[in-house]
Amino acid sequence: QGRVCHFSRRFSRSTVGFSTHSRPRIAPRLVPGAFAKTRSLRSATPNFHVHETSVTMASASSLASIQAPPVALRASALARARAAARARAPIVPRAAASAPPMSGIGACHAGAFLSETEKAHLVTIAAMIGTPGKGITACDEGPGTIGDRFEAVGVVNTEENRRAYRQVLFESEGANEFLSAAILDPETLYQKSSTNGELFPKVLMARGIVPGVKPHLKIFALPGQNGATVMQGLDSLAVRCAEYKAAGCEFAKWRSPLEIDVANGQPSDLTIETNMRDLARYALICQSQGLVPIVEPDIALKGTHDLETAVRVNVKVQSELFHQMNLHGVYMEGAVLKSNMVNPGKDCPVSYTVEEIAEANLQVFRRCFPTAMTTANFLSGGQSLEDASARLDAINKRKGRKDPWNLSFSWSAAVQMPLFQLCKGKDGLQLEAIGALYVAELAIASAAALGTHTRKGTEGDHKGRGGLFGGKK
Amino acid sequence: PAHDPTPPLATANPHRTTYRTTMACFKSTYADELVATAAAMSVPGKGVLAADESTGTIGKRFDGIGVENVEENRRAYRELLFTTDGFEKYCSGVIMFEETLFQSCKDGTAFVDLLKSKGIIPGIKVDKGVVPLPGNTRGETTTSGLDGLGERCAKYYAQGARFAKWRAVLTIGDALPSAQCLDDNARCLARYAAICQQNGLVPIVEPEILTDGAHGIDKCAEVTERVLSCVFAHLMTHGVMLEGMILKPNMVTPGSQSSQGGSSASREEVAAATVTALRRTCPAAVPGVLFLSGGQSEEDATAHLDAMNKGDQQGRKNPWTLSFSYGRALQTSCLKAWLGKESNVAAAQAALLRVSEANSKASLGQC
Repeated sequence: QGRVCHFSRRFSRSTVGFSTHSRPRIAPRLVPGAFAKTRSLRSATPNFHVHETSVTMASASSLASIQAPPVALRASALARARAAARARAPIVPRAAASAPPMSGIGACHAGAFLSETEKAHLVTIAAMIGTPGKGITACDEGPGTIGDRFEAVGVVNTEENRRAYRQVLFESEGANEFLSAAILDPETLYQKSSTNGELFPKVLMARGIVPGVKPHLKIFALPGQNGATVMQGLDSLAVRCAEYKAAGCEFAKWRSPLEIDVANGQPSDLTIETNMRDLARYALICQSQGLVPIVEPDIALKGTHDLETAVRVNVKVQSELFHQMNLHGVYMEGAVLKSNMVNPGKDCPVSYTVEEIAEANLQVFRRCFPTAMTTANFLSGGQSLEDASARLDAINKRKGRKDPWNLSFSWSAAVQMPLFQLCKGKDGLQLEAIGALYVAELAIASAAALGTHTRKGTEGDHKGRGGLFGGKK
Repeated sequence: PAHDPTPPLATANPHRTTYRTTMACFKSTYADELVATAAAMSVPGKGVLAADESTGTIGKRFDGIGVENVEENRRAYRELLFTTDGFEKYCSGVIMFEETLFQSCKDGTAFVDLLKSKGIIPGIKVDKGVVPLPGNTRGETTTSGLDGLGERCAKYYAQGARFAKWRAVLTIGDALPSAQCLDDNARCLARYAAICQQNGLVPIVEPEILTDGAHGIDKCAEVTERVLSCVFAHLMTHGVMLEGMILKPNMVTPGSQSSQGGSSASREEVAAATVTALRRTCPAAVPGVLFLSGGQSEEDATAHLDAMNKGDQQGRKNPWTLSFSYGRALQTSCLKAWLGKESNVAAAQAALLRVSEANSKASLGQC
């Protein structure tokens, strides 16, 4: 396929899954020994990365001003959390007290296995996530992926740098005015703020930002599907969700990437069905463990397809997703959508205005997004902050009676890539500058989520590069 | 902001066709007309009169009031309904049986012309009734009528019909509806809908889940959501344009033989369960959800609809109109007042008007 596989370099740095946030890689077949080794490493080290452990211990002892407790203490705290999770009821779906015997097609209905209290909690969290004018900061890159971004601007990838950087994203003055939630990598769940020594999930909650997690997922090529993929991660998901809940998370996120490749018939029916079924099951498992599932079907920007094709494919994918969620008995009112914006392919030769793009987005939602779900937080997927904001704003300006959902953002690269640029050619992370720019960007995102943003020039338009109706060459 | 109709688009490609049809990915010469008709049928404050009883079924109604089931009586009864003064205030459309579509008033005015002159859209039942599912051991059915449907739709369109109706019937029971029943009925509904749209008729999609049974309201909710989810999945597969169709579902109620029994689930419970089921499964693009009455009394059918439109919206309005497409729940009082006598026509029409007005108010939540 012409994709570079960085597996050997990866393996020295992390052993459990990779964040596939921006660049999916094909995972080779796991040899049995590798998996066993992975598991034992996970139980031995709190932050799951062999390489980092030794670095962490060194930095913990040398940075006396930071009140990071020794590794041994953190390990025992983690062990306590794990024991508490295991002591809870076994991870099997519980039959609701009043449920009739299940037979035939009625195996599960809309969270029937949840108590009224559990359902109410999920609805509360979903409502917090969907607060109008606020959005999600997606900080869930694994150490490998964030490491790439650090190293590209000359910042060393250490656990402390990752911790300090995320602290800025959580604690910058004014950020919580624009943030309803934050998605964390599991490593970050067990890190502490240097401000008050509290664990980050607690820090976030105290600021009114709901903490959530992206569980480790591995990407896998679906045989015979021209490189189309599925995400692996359902096995042991319930156990991990229980751990994340014990660590203070209130939601989780699972991303299923898809690509439009019309020539190769992708995404095919099989690709769509497989991925959407997995998303539905992930959602069910999350809810059974008290976490709101954010379901993320991510159709990539890559390609030359026009906006009409994008609409057609998005309707097909999302229809299948919500159908599977209903069939699986997911409690729709306690789930959140994080979808791509509907856009023409990055290299589509046809031009479109930002209003046309906004209309396409609303048309897709009207055709398949259940109104039982209260919020959709778009991913940025390679769009610049300017384009993403202009489009989100246009969508909210065009929203009408047919569009009762909160439509907001859940952005990582769009917001964070400019932050890394501030460190280029400088010595290490420029935390203050990062914080200031970050909050300024969030203010723009928030305005877009309210439909009160003013774009500059033709931000958000798609400028086609040629073809019958195209624009400039 | 409440945009209705959609604000115009600044487009980079002015020579492209209207955006709605382009982005519907729906290629039919009738697309704009279908959308307009479906919108007209979804005006809040109006509903549809289901007067499409087949010859056999209207015979049962006539039996109850001692009227002979002959063509002239059937024609006279429908003339009574359609000539009701002021009926057009509460009625956006009438579903007719094939015989009726080609009938006229005593003075020679064709029924379709009379209705059109009052601004009431003529519609037509196009299904040919339920038939047993082959190999099904539980007595489940599918609905027949797909063969030659395209030609019949064209014929009805030429006569003046602008929408159609197809009724699928499902039953709740132990392990029912079965996958076979659900799959086939949903598929037939989708194909019917696609054929209608290709021939200029707005399809009313009616997956009726009967109230027969001892199940509680939760079971009905579960089955309704599953059925609706499957129906919309098939509609998507068959490329049906949601903006140009109407959904006609059952309300979510306890089974008629349940210990919760007919009307003892509160109106608010029925309303909440029904709206919840729709929010989970019915896309916002569908302009109107027009409920069937399914044997409910006139009072219950009106009260349930009213509760839905009044009900706790959780701060969010429904994206579709919730209104009525009632048969018995609009006609029962009228039939009882008429008794087949010419001298009772005025009283019968007054009854129809009264019940229609009540349902009109219910569709606005103003009872």
